[in-house]
Amino acid sequence: DEDNDSKVCLQDIDNEENYYESALLRKPQFRYLEEIGALCLVDDNDNPLCQREIYLKFMEQKIISWESYDAYKHLKSLGYIVGRHKFPWTLKNVYGTCESASSHDTTESNRLTETEYVNSLSEEFSNLQIRAAVPVFDVYLPNSKFKKSCPDELNFIVCLIRGNPPSVAEIRGLENHCSSIPLNFCHVDHGRVSFFSFAKVELPVLP
Amino acid sequence: SLVILKDMGPRWKGKNAEAQALADPMSKIVSQLQSSLIQSDSRALLSGNDTRLEANSEQANLLIRSCFGQPIWHSMTADSDKQWFQLGLEEAFFMCYSLKCIKIVGEDNCPKNAEEVWHYMKSCTPSFPYLYKAYLHLRLKNWVVRPGLQYGGDFVAYRHHPSFVHSEYVVLVSSEENGDANGRLKVWSDLHCAVRLSGGVAKTLLVIHISEHGESDNSTSFLDGSSVDELTITRWSAEQSREDLRKTKGLPPTLLQASQHTSFARVTRVAKLLLVIAPTTTVRVAWGHP
Repeated sequence: DEDNDSKVCLQDIDNEENYYESALLRKPQFRYLEEIGALCLVDDNDNPLCQREIYLKFMEQKIISWESYDAYKHLKSLGYIVGRHKFPWTLKNVYGTCESASSHDTTESNRLTETEYVNSLSEEFSNLQIRAAVPVFDVYLPNSKFKKSCPDELNFIVCLIRGNPPSVAEIRGLENHCSSIPLNFCHVDHGRVSFFSFAKVELPVLP
Repeated sequence: SLVILKDMGPRWKGKNAEAQALADPMSKIVSQLQSSLIQSDSRALLSGNDTRLEANSEQANLLIRSCFGQPIWHSMTADSDKQWFQLGLEEAFFMCYSLKCIKIVGEDNCPKNAEEVWHYMKSCTPSFPYLYKAYLHLRLKNWVVRPGLQYGGDFVAYRHHPSFVHSEYVVLVSSEENGDANGRLKVWSDLHCAVRLSGGVAKTLLVIHISEHGESDNSTSFLDGSSVDELTITRWSAEQSREDLRKTKGLPPTLLQASQHTSFARVTRVAKLLLVIAPTTTVRVAWGHP
């Protein structure tokens, strides 16, 4: 990864315009996007132009919030395996053209598909933005033998909350959406990540 | 699924407490209280926010054991075994219209009907219908329900008498409409505060959520028309959960390698301190349960 980054840097260093973009590519947030599968980067830097475009589009349309990055960072650092909610780990199956792109000169059909892909993603995310509590991550327990192609049993789903704490109705709605998988509600305040669990219970009838 | 939440089950006080409580179920105590009060045609005087009930010594004993009201003073009259108890709004309404073992009267000594008392109590506390619904819900399951103000809640709930067991829950009552009856948990600072406070006194925060289903809270029909959901709110710790998992797998606690550096390295406060002192030392942190 580091090799590829410096490769990109050398290529673009002459061009001042691109310098800023390549600096963006080195940011940890960019790796975050790759890691959670938000970018179709199974093969890094085979098509740097395509990566940059997607990344900038994401930034522009505020698809990825940096609060979710804080939550991601927190869980990752503790060894949990974190993927974007309901997002395929690899896009090889979804989107075969990605790995075949090998130069700056992408074919017309590749470019179109990628744009379509980004547009469909941005539509999905802008719908999600309207709601205050959004399922963002599928989380698996720490496991050194974890395989992306064949993931473990899903441990819990993280719902990121913007604005005020969720109402009971919202919680119920999300619980239904996620069926029987436990939810952890995440709120980020000034970089401080807190998780809350809202569990439906039934106190026993006592003797 | 293996998300492990700390189980804050009942904390009995002393070795025999649980057995004693089992031998003396709350439902039985309440039932005895009910019979005794019916027999003496007991009346409770509604005055301000409180209701005052006169009790004989047997009833006083039962009231204390079933955790209704507060004893206030002994009667100074000839019936020297009489004791006065002060009942809260929910307690009085419950004893009168659910247990049906007392009559609530005004200064004129005339029994008031349920609707009158409902309106009156609602004028004292606008969220009375919701508080009462929650109180009723728990009492019908034979939980002991006491005022929870000192813990920042509406109620606290015990499995039995407080002398046998610590209370498990701080109860907050919320509702869909009515702008959430008590205006709690609307902002993050309040949520953090409520959860931290409950945890600090070894209790779980329990939200009793009332769904009105379009029923107005202006009359007692609200009680039949509305429904209750119970929800606990706890703080989830990613660190603790991971360590709990390691424990169940028989693994040792996580070793923190101070020399290891990744772009996502995160250290606890303790480890940070140790890093300052000896940056290249391997840091081993033992995770204990608070």
